[in-house]
Amino acid sequence: MVNVLSCLLKRKVTADIPGRDEEIEALGREIRREVDAVFGGSLAIRELDTGSDNAAEIEINNLTNPHYDIERFGITFVASPRHADVLLVTGAVTHNMAAAAKKTYEAMPSPKFVVAVGDDACDGGIFAGSYAVLGGAEKVFPVDLKIPGNPPAPKEILTGLLALMNNAGKTR
Amino acid sequence: MVAEESMGKRTVRELLGLGALSGQVKEGCNGEWYLLVNETEFLPLVTSLAARECALIGLICTERFSPGAPFSLLYIFEKKGVLLVVVLDTAQSAPSIARLLPSACWSERDCRDGFGITFQGSFDERRLLLHETYPDDYHPLKKDVRNVPPIMKSSVEPSEEYPFRNVQGDGVYQIPVGPVHAGIIEPGHFRFSVIGEKIFNLEVRMFYKHRGIEKLAEGKPADEVVRIAEAVSGDESVANTVAFCNAVEKIAGMHVPDRAWALRTILMELERIGSHLGDQAGMLVDVAFPLGASQFAVIREEVFRMNDLLAGSRFLRGMVVPGGISRDIRTEDLVALGQFVRQVRKRYRTGLKIVLSTASVIDRFSPTGVVRRSILRPLNITGPTARASGANGDVRVDHPYGIYARHLPTVRVLHDGDVLSRFTVRASEILDSLDLIERLLNALPDGPVRVACDAKDGYALSLVESARGQSLCWLWIRNGVVERYKVRTASYCNWLAIEHAVQGEIVPDFPLINKSLNLSYAGTDL
Repeated sequence: MVNVLSCLLKRKVTADIPGRDEEIEALGREIRREVDAVFGGSLAIRELDTGSDNAAEIEINNLTNPHYDIERFGITFVASPRHADVLLVTGAVTHNMAAAAKKTYEAMPSPKFVVAVGDDACDGGIFAGSYAVLGGAEKVFPVDLKIPGNPPAPKEILTGLLALMNNAGKTR
Repeated sequence: MVAEESMGKRTVRELLGLGALSGQVKEGCNGEWYLLVNETEFLPLVTSLAARECALIGLICTERFSPGAPFSLLYIFEKKGVLLVVVLDTAQSAPSIARLLPSACWSERDCRDGFGITFQGSFDERRLLLHETYPDDYHPLKKDVRNVPPIMKSSVEPSEEYPFRNVQGDGVYQIPVGPVHAGIIEPGHFRFSVIGEKIFNLEVRMFYKHRGIEKLAEGKPADEVVRIAEAVSGDESVANTVAFCNAVEKIAGMHVPDRAWALRTILMELERIGSHLGDQAGMLVDVAFPLGASQFAVIREEVFRMNDLLAGSRFLRGMVVPGGISRDIRTEDLVALGQFVRQVRKRYRTGLKIVLSTASVIDRFSPTGVVRRSILRPLNITGPTARASGANGDVRVDHPYGIYARHLPTVRVLHDGDVLSRFTVRASEILDSLDLIERLLNALPDGPVRVACDAKDGYALSLVESARGQSLCWLWIRNGVVERYKVRTASYCNWLAIEHAVQGEIVPDFPLINKSLNLSYAGTDL
């Protein structure tokens, strides 16, 4: 009984994030509008690493931290390509990942979109021509949008996703 | 200085015993010792080094290193304070030492794939770097193989598929996971053999991300290789470029200004803080404690933003270059960093208190995923993982580089070896790194941050302590360009710890144990 009361009465352990980024909030509102208009309220993303240096993964992961929290805008990361609208690809495509990358793409239902995130995924980056890679993501499947960067920051990835949805909306 | 050198030589002689060999050791550019042996001397020497508790921390194959020998194998042994490189020249083959020193297992497979070296008596002859679709008898790291894509096999017969270790028995079933995982994670394959809910055996298969880092660096001047060193593993960008640049500078025999080393050290410690915070947040996500996870994730994002302010890159890229750092950091930004460090310390402590006083978290963390101390040296497990299992080792203390000799960090050692210990060691290290940054800021030397670095020919071994542990770089510059760039990050060795740590644990604890070991796939696969 005492415990229940103290839970009700004690100060809540919540805090505002220091330095809320208004630019992100504005970007988020636009994304929310596009997700509602073009993708029926939710956009499901599957991330695929085909040979990155892990910096791009970290930035994509950062989109889910409280500073960005992109689920607020209707974007979710899903565990299976079968549930995904968009494939976010990072890294140059290595020979060792080529087969798995193709299978992942083929497992997605249509219509589907592919976004290359980072210089390596865009065109192979510094690895282009190396014995161990095929090149950028477009060597294994069609790419709808490229977000360059080494790696692109979370804000740039969001801007890219917004551009993807704008394009998808136009060609619908 | 003279007294110090002779002390180093004495330690090596003691390590080698009183045999004739000890007279033949030569000192390298960075305090490491080289010893050329012939095939009859090799096995007895290795056996004696193993008996003297030396760890085999690296094995490098290189071509035309010794006159008249097509290949040289460089076996790097480490014992506190001493680095000994045993050089064995060979035409094509060498005896396998993987039974004696298990950390040689992956390295021997690595040399076999890269150069076609055969290791007699080796117990694992499967390919490592090159998966099934690579052509047979293809050895990309040989000098006469050009760095262009080979003609790959268009299909792979079932008989050519990678043979995982076959575990059989009543009720044993297999769970194959990966290479594409459910979360936002790098690719790798885990083959679990499970009885009921408990993991009986785990075999990891890596190198899906093998992108040819080492070959890519060859033939390029040092300045151009910095970007490649940064791409070894994104969240270790600073550590791996410092290892590389330190090797270049030691070969050139140059002195890097104190201010440059002080700023490099600040960047290295910021990188460590960011990495540890990411692990801690990830571990808390895996035990479903978002309250704790969010606090650390929020601070981590702010670290990234601070990195961006200081270096113009959230991953601190483009700063470390041969000869120092590419540009000085503005005074007002350093002041901002000082304030940031003070407020982060306070908030981090609050978050830590909440986490460590939550019973449900402790219940999942302890005693989960124990890494036994007995496997540390045989597999060369290093970093927070080793320190949480009782190893008193840290490159910053054992082989100080830059200005660490003047700022020796406390080595935080715990003994339980479980997830909780790894979490706690990282917590102490975050607080230590914050203190170190503050101390450096308070006494930042003036002066230039970069001096011209004319690359000279030669070779050097360079070790740094990244957030994950001991990161090794062996660099050979010839005719002004990189002849061989060998990287072996901490993850390459630490990956094998997971096969041991999960035994007897339940499958649902695997993600937590994996996160607590914080292994980089990119840094392993190269």
